[in-house]
Order: sequence, then C-alpha cells, then structure tokens
Amino acid sequence: MRTNTHFAFFDEGSKKEIRRATLKAVAIPGYQVPFASREMPIARGWGTGGLQLTLSLIGKTDVLKVIDQGADESVNAVSIKKLVQETTGVQVTDQTEEADLIQSRHRIPEIPLTKDQILVLQVPMPEPLRPVEAREYATKRMHSEDDYSGAWLMLFEQIVKYGKTATAADHPVYVNGRYVMAPSPIPRFDNPKMHQSEALILLGAGREKKIYAVPPYTAVESLAFEDYPFAVESFEGQECRLCGSAHVFLDELIDQKTGETVYQCNDTSYCMEQLNSTEKAEVESSYA
Amino acid sequence: MAIDQIHDLQQVYRKLLHSMSRPGTISSIEQETKQVDINFGCADSFILSAMVLLDAEVTFHVLSKDRQNLIEKISNYTSARFASVKEADFILVLQEDEESDVLEAMAQCKIGNLIDPQQSATWIIESAVLSNEDALVLTGPGIETAAHLSTGQSFRFWQARDSRIKEYPMGIDMIFADSSSQIACLPRTVSAIPMEVK
Ligand SMILES: [Zn+2]
Repeated sequence: MRTNTHFAFFDEGSKKEIRRATLKAVAIPGYQVPFASREMPIARGWGTGGLQLTLSLIGKTDVLKVIDQGADESVNAVSIKKLVQETTGVQVTDQTEEADLIQSRHRIPEIPLTKDQILVLQVPMPEPLRPVEAREYATKRMHSEDDYSGAWLMLFEQIVKYGKTATAADHPVYVNGRYVMAPSPIPRFDNPKMHQSEALILLGAGREKKIYAVPPYTAVESLAFEDYPFAVESFEGQECRLCGSAHVFLDELIDQKTGETVYQCNDTSYCMEQLNSTEKAEVESSYA
Repeated sequence: MAIDQIHDLQQVYRKLLHSMSRPGTISSIEQETKQVDINFGCADSFILSAMVLLDAEVTFHVLSKDRQNLIEKISNYTSARFASVKEADFILVLQEDEESDVLEAMAQCKIGNLIDPQQSATWIIESAVLSNEDALVLTGPGIETAAHLSTGQSFRFWQARDSRIKEYPMGIDMIFADSSSQIACLPRTVSAIPMEVK
C-alpha cells in the first residue's frame, strides 16, 4: 500500500534541497555537489539518484521518457516510470522527441536532444578518481587542486597494458576545462554527445549522495593523450539487422540459429522509429 | 487565489533552472506571479524566486535596514532564518538599496572554498526591467557564442562581481527578478562585460 500522498513522492522540503543543489551544480559544471539523498522505494543502485532529480524537476505538464541501457521497456525503466506516474499522473512516452524529461541509465539517446529537454543520467559511481584514491576527502582535495594526475595515470596504465585506453564505459571527461567528471557508464560512443549539448544534462548518484551537471553549450572533452587520441567504439561496416541504421551504437548479438554475429540498435525506440519510417516510405512509394 | 506551494513553485523552479543553464535567457513567470496575493512590498517575481529556494535549512540576508517587515514576512512564509551578510546562503537585494551597501555586501558575502565551492551565497536581486539589449555581453558555459542582457546594474556592480568570481570555482551566483514577472540568472562561470559606462 502506498501511503505517500505527496505530488512527485517527495515533500516540498526534500525537493527544495535537491533543487538548490541542482542550481549549484549547473553553476559549477562537472563539480559534484553533495546532497541529502533520500531513501526511495526502489533498490539502491537502480537509479535512485536519477529518480530523485526527476522527482524534483517534474510538473503536471511534463512528458517523461525513461530508458535503461537503451530500452524503454526494461524492468528498471518500467518501475521508475510507474512510481513517477503514480505520484504525478504525468504522461510517459517512448518517443525521444515527445519527452521533455528523459531519465536514462547507460545511454544518451541517438536522436539529438534539444534546448527544451533535460536529460537526467543515473550514476552508480560519481567519483572518477575513486579507482586511484579510496578516501573521499582526498579525492575532494584533488579536485580542489585541479590535480588529475591519478586519472591520467589510470589511462596511461591502460595504454601500457592494452595498447589503447581500455575504458569500456564511463570514460572520464574534462568539463569546462576545470573538473574531471564521470559521465556515468555511457559507452565512449556517447561521450561526444555531451560536448556543446543543446539540452541540459543532470547527473544524480543516490548512494554517493552527489548531483552534478553539464550545462548546454559547455566544453566536454574525453581524457586522452596526443599520440593515443580518444576513440569511440567502432562499428565500421556494420549496420542494424532490423532497421539498417549505421553510425549508431550497436549491440553485438549471436544469431541463435546460424551462430553468426549480428548487430542491432541499442536504442530500441530509435530503431522502432527507423522501422516505422522505412515502412511508411515503402507504403508511400508503392502507392506513388 | 493564493500561490500553490507545489505546482506554482515547481514551475518557477524550472524557469530558474532554464535561465541558470542558459545565462542571459529571460524567463517569464507571469502565470505564477498572478497568484501572489500578499503584498511584500517588492516584485512578485523576486518573492517567488525566494520562495522556491528558501526553507528552514538555509539562511538569508536582506540588505535594506528599514525592511524589518519584509524580513519577518519572508521568515514566516519560508521558515528560513535571517543571518549576517557574511553567513547568509541567500542575499536579497531590493531595487531601493543603496549601491554602497550592495558593493559592501558583495565584498563580504561567502564565495565557498576550493574544497566546497557550493558553500557560497546566491544573490536574488530585484532588478530594473530585464531585456536582451546589449548593456552586458555574456560569455561562458550555457551560451553558444555570446548573449546580451540588461539588468540596470551599474558598472561598479559588475566590477565588484568580477572580483568575487575570479577565483573560480569559488564565486557567487545571481538571480535577477523584475517587476514584469521576468527572471534571468548569472552563474559564477559567466563573464559579464558592461558595454556602457553609467
Ligand atoms: Zn535498428
């Protein structure tokens, strides 16, 4: 039984605190602003930071999209949508263009976002320096001194070991030339979408109690060395087996029958839209 | 009709966030200021901006010395506590305030420290009617190339602001609210260069 009757789950005091932290985060791009993360009726690690941001933002007329690793229908995305809808009555959508609030885990949608949209990213580990330094006060000091030698060393060691930077996801970025930031576990493919983005990007880490932001039109550079430049995942020569899209982030799958490797759009709503528009085009051309 | 503490303030917050993310962008909160039915003796957009952000967890300072009434009203409505200019989380400036007081407060207010730059004062300023005339040229995050904004503040005001944001990430963030139900914001990251000497 849900006994909570607040609009958007939170009491107004909780929202105010998150809102104040969010405005500070926008004013100091890439800096992790501490906030008093609340207990949420979903498991921690399932996007409570992103959810708290969404609940502090949302109003009656918003249209919400929630995606988990590119899919609108995953259990996690559905349970977040359910909680938000039950406490606000807002409209939800799968269509990226229709949404004005988009909460996502592990992806930035393929369709370019606009100035009228806010992207909320769920963050499991907001501290890009944590792998090299376990102590919070020490990482805070490093950020304060613009001392990112630890982050560079991490990349250097990867190159020594693998001949390239081996970060599969969450490849660290420099924001506005000042703070090194964890972009959340998005693939490297999505990092460039943060650079000079038209949409405001907010990131929330529930367990670690941090909110941070990338304002629109802000420089976001992926950390790289001159002779080992940053490179996104390459799907050269591959295309989606369903919609035929290339130049999107593809999932690698094994065809159960043939045992062959096949590729498919990771962003399922994008794929559906491509399919629909191709079908429409086919239908239209057959009537022409 | 009175202000709806949930839905009206949510709308004002989104406009504040929009304008803070896009410095120089003027947002209208006319739908919400219409609902203000108490006379605070200042612009409704100014009061609503304060209501969105103030509660018992934070402190505020009012510059004007003969506005005891306003201090009490804000405390009553938001439960925020009055504090000295050096400690206050929010500095509230009215159009009638003396420039010398404003400049002094600017020199004294908190700007955070390198470890916790967010522990800084946010200024809420009742301004002249905001427009995108080129009184100020703005550049920085949130602005594609350059933006223009006119707030009615003097050259000395911008000089004083400049001296408090030069040790970025420490600094102050500003919200301007006018009598035409408009708001605009200037985070610490943005350079504001006055184009005319007043
Ligand atoms: Zn596809």
